[in-house]
Amino acid sequence: MELQDRLEDLEAQGLGVVAISYDSEEVLADFSQRGGITFPLLSDDDSRVITEFGILNTVAAEGRGPNAEDPEVVADVAKYVSLFGASEMIVGTPYPGTFMLDRTGRVTSRFFEEFYRERNTTANVMLKLGVGLSPIAAIEGSTAHLKLTAYPSNPSVTVGTRFSIAVEIEPNANMHVYAPGAEAMGYRVVSLNLTPTPHVRFEPVEFPESEIYHFEPLDERVPVYQSPFLLLQEAVVAATPETEEALAELDALTLSGSFDYQACDDEICFPPVSLPLSFTLSLDLLDRQRANR
Amino acid sequence: MMNLQGRRAARGTILAAVVVGVACDSSESRPLIDGGALAIQSRTPIDVASLGPQVGERVPEFSLPDQHGETRTLESVLGPNGALLLFHRSADW
Repeated sequence: MELQDRLEDLEAQGLGVVAISYDSEEVLADFSQRGGITFPLLSDDDSRVITEFGILNTVAAEGRGPNAEDPEVVADVAKYVSLFGASEMIVGTPYPGTFMLDRTGRVTSRFFEEFYRERNTTANVMLKLGVGLSPIAAIEGSTAHLKLTAYPSNPSVTVGTRFSIAVEIEPNANMHVYAPGAEAMGYRVVSLNLTPTPHVRFEPVEFPESEIYHFEPLDERVPVYQSPFLLLQEAVVAATPETEEALAELDALTLSGSFDYQACDDEICFPPVSLPLSFTLSLDLLDRQRANR
Repeated sequence: MMNLQGRRAARGTILAAVVVGVACDSSESRPLIDGGALAIQSRTPIDVASLGPQVGERVPEFSLPDQHGETRTLESVLGPNGALLLFHRSADW
């Protein structure tokens, strides 16, 4: 389980980790032993806490009720319950998601999916929160203008996995690269351009806040990055039966593309640079193993 | 959000068609028989982002047994900087 792999990183940040489901203590004990889980898995076997939180999946019951044939219910069942219809076992489950809490139990951020087959990875949540993540399988490179470290949030993915490609960039001393907004002044903004693939959907790249660079000779004020910064390219492995079938034939998923930028120092603007990047992610089969009973 | 508003708008149209008694656009029409329209009217569209405690709100207290039979509360799982609280469907399927 991926959350277990990240437990040390999370605990080092002073965060407690806990998971809640409607499973019985026995099922959780079996799962925790099989998966080597050391954090608490809580048993909400009557779904009371899930209901009190207000995140009970009510579509599951609706899909088995008198309005099951209503086209809106049918559409919601496919989205929130199952592509294969509302089975009894989904009644009582929550909409899956993650709350990040502060020390007083207030929500500081939350991650819920719009489609039940898509799941944020723990590492992706950590990257988005800016919680320290030890990169695995990083690509490192340096040019005359900057140093670059690029890595996937997760070394392996499966259908529905929401993960990120992270690119950490450290401009050299006195060097800057351009942030969104600078294109209006004729500069090339940093960009991460991964080639679209039929099985992966890319979200828009997230840019951190930039700073304004004052170029005195032209009295120009341009948005730039001069300190280390992080670009996040979030991606989702398509959760369709077609992709599931296609991925079953593959050992790995390769994403490739380039990191493009233009750098300038206080005197010279260098020609644009395109650095090729390629990431190979291994494919996990869905865990179909069940508790022995 | 757009989707939600779209649905609300579509439903508004259906209601208007019933009251005035005119045929509505075929793409939005539904059979309005056997109280079907009432059932549709009473259904709340799902918007997962609006469900449950929002950013800034405190989550409800809880007290549940863990996989070793030990009782855990919100208080007991919070670390010095808070906690990651994951709700998942099942460990069993």
